[in-house]
Amino acid sequence: MSIEVHNLHQHYGETRAIDGVCMKLPDSAQVLALIGPSGGGKSTFLRLIGGIETPTSGTVIVDDQELPKEEEGLLDYRKSNGFLFQAFNLFPHLSALDNIILPLTEVHGWSRHKAEERAHEVVKRFYLEKHLEKHPEQLSGGQQQRVALARAVAHEPALLLLDEPTSALDPEMKAGVLDLIKELCDAGQRIVLSTHEMGFARQSADHVVFLAEGKILEEGKAEELFEASREPKVTQFLDRVMKW
Amino acid sequence: MKSFINALVSVILAVTFFFGFWVILDHDYDWAAIAPYSGNLFSGWLVTVGISLAALALSVVVAAVLTVAQLSSHRVPRVLSRAYVEIVRGTPLLTQILIGYYLIADAIGWDSRFGVGLVILSCFSGAYLSEIFRGGIESISKSQWLSARAIGLSEGQTYRFVVIPQAIRRVLPASAGQFANLIKDSSLLFVISVHEFTMQAREANANSFATFEAYLPLVMGYFILTFPISLLSRHLEKRFSYEH
Ligand SMILES: Nc1ncnc2c1ncn2[C@@H]1O[C@H](COP(=O)(O)OP(=O)(O)OP(=O)(O)O)[C@@H](O)[C@H]1O
Ligand SMILES: [Mg+2]
Repeated sequence: MSIEVHNLHQHYGETRAIDGVCMKLPDSAQVLALIGPSGGGKSTFLRLIGGIETPTSGTVIVDDQELPKEEEGLLDYRKSNGFLFQAFNLFPHLSALDNIILPLTEVHGWSRHKAEERAHEVVKRFYLEKHLEKHPEQLSGGQQQRVALARAVAHEPALLLLDEPTSALDPEMKAGVLDLIKELCDAGQRIVLSTHEMGFARQSADHVVFLAEGKILEEGKAEELFEASREPKVTQFLDRVMKW
Repeated sequence: MKSFINALVSVILAVTFFFGFWVILDHDYDWAAIAPYSGNLFSGWLVTVGISLAALALSVVVAAVLTVAQLSSHRVPRVLSRAYVEIVRGTPLLTQILIGYYLIADAIGWDSRFGVGLVILSCFSGAYLSEIFRGGIESISKSQWLSARAIGLSEGQTYRFVVIPQAIRRVLPASAGQFANLIKDSSLLFVISVHEFTMQAREANANSFATFEAYLPLVMGYFILTFPISLLSRHLEKRFSYEH
């Protein structure tokens, strides 16, 4: 996977959510994890890489293509990706099945029949067969996140972006969703995720970026960063979050 | 203290009800006096039902146009529709009927009382309805927009598949209430001699001098229209409140 970021800025009024980020991901990396303190800019960075927002300045280059700045081109780029947020991903007026089908038919132009077939495949893979007809409010948080994940991968996205996909879940549901994400990693899915689950990041990510105050404090191979960080701030952060 | 106020309120209510019923029951009814006008009363009731239904349909159209204008990204339609809504809501319906009929309709040479009354009522009700619609659309949370954007829906598709279907459920109870208002408001059309229910009751009263016998059916005639709507509105409110 090739992601390059040049002098990226994203400012919201006075807040510099992303404040001059440069990064070049090694081609060998398949899973990139963003970690760091709350408010450090992880979600913003993900939205920029995913083409959900356009940056104040700077460029993002994915697979040698610079992300367009105008909405139309950006929309096409977004269609090729999958995105999962912390919570509230699903549309409450649609059943689980229709949540998965809607983007397939309306965004990707599949026939209803083909979309249904595909939806049933992913639903089976994610152990959701029993919940197809339920609406989001009838599903547990973990089930909702699994449906949302199924929707995000149903069209086989080139890049899957996950923003703290489990931080709103109970520990038990967390494990279920993380298992699925791990399966996707092992199946070769290219993923960029932000997470507070250090254990998970360490196990599944090839490359880790530590973001704080809108800047990259440190980046590197997962094992190097977790075992032998050179940045005192990063070591401190890791010590604190790994303590319990 | 609280129980004293409760007791006082109960007594006042009981006395008022008793007095009301006593006046109604004690009256020496002469239904024969009103009998010759019963056909007129019924046809007036039908006109009221008809004009209310037609105005309902037309006011939904007016409201839809106003809502689109208010949500527009251009300033001109936004300002114009805002001004329209404020003026309509800030002036009495009676004034609008008089001006609409004697000035505007007269100027363009249109003298169908029913037609003019219908249009005025629709323009009036449409302004209120558009506020309900706008509120419904704006009540759809940002996370829904973000989700829609992330799966690659365009703005138009987001309205069509995500925002409007949810907004409709939310505005149904208030819209039903507005329909009940419309039925009651149509009674003011007697000032331009539309032969609706109130007009017929007034005429029956003037000709027969049987005030009670003319106005009691009037009250009942409106109530059997508005009460089911009020029940429906409350039912819808309850039903959709479970969903969120
Ligand atoms: N849409 C926005 N408008 C204004 N400020 C924003 C917006 N999005 C993010 N910010 C601000 O930008 C900074 C970075 O936020 P961001 O959500 O990217 O951090 P984060 O690393 O994802 O934090 P967390 O771990 O709590 O999710 C924060 O100070 C936040 O308040
Ligand atoms: Mg975040």
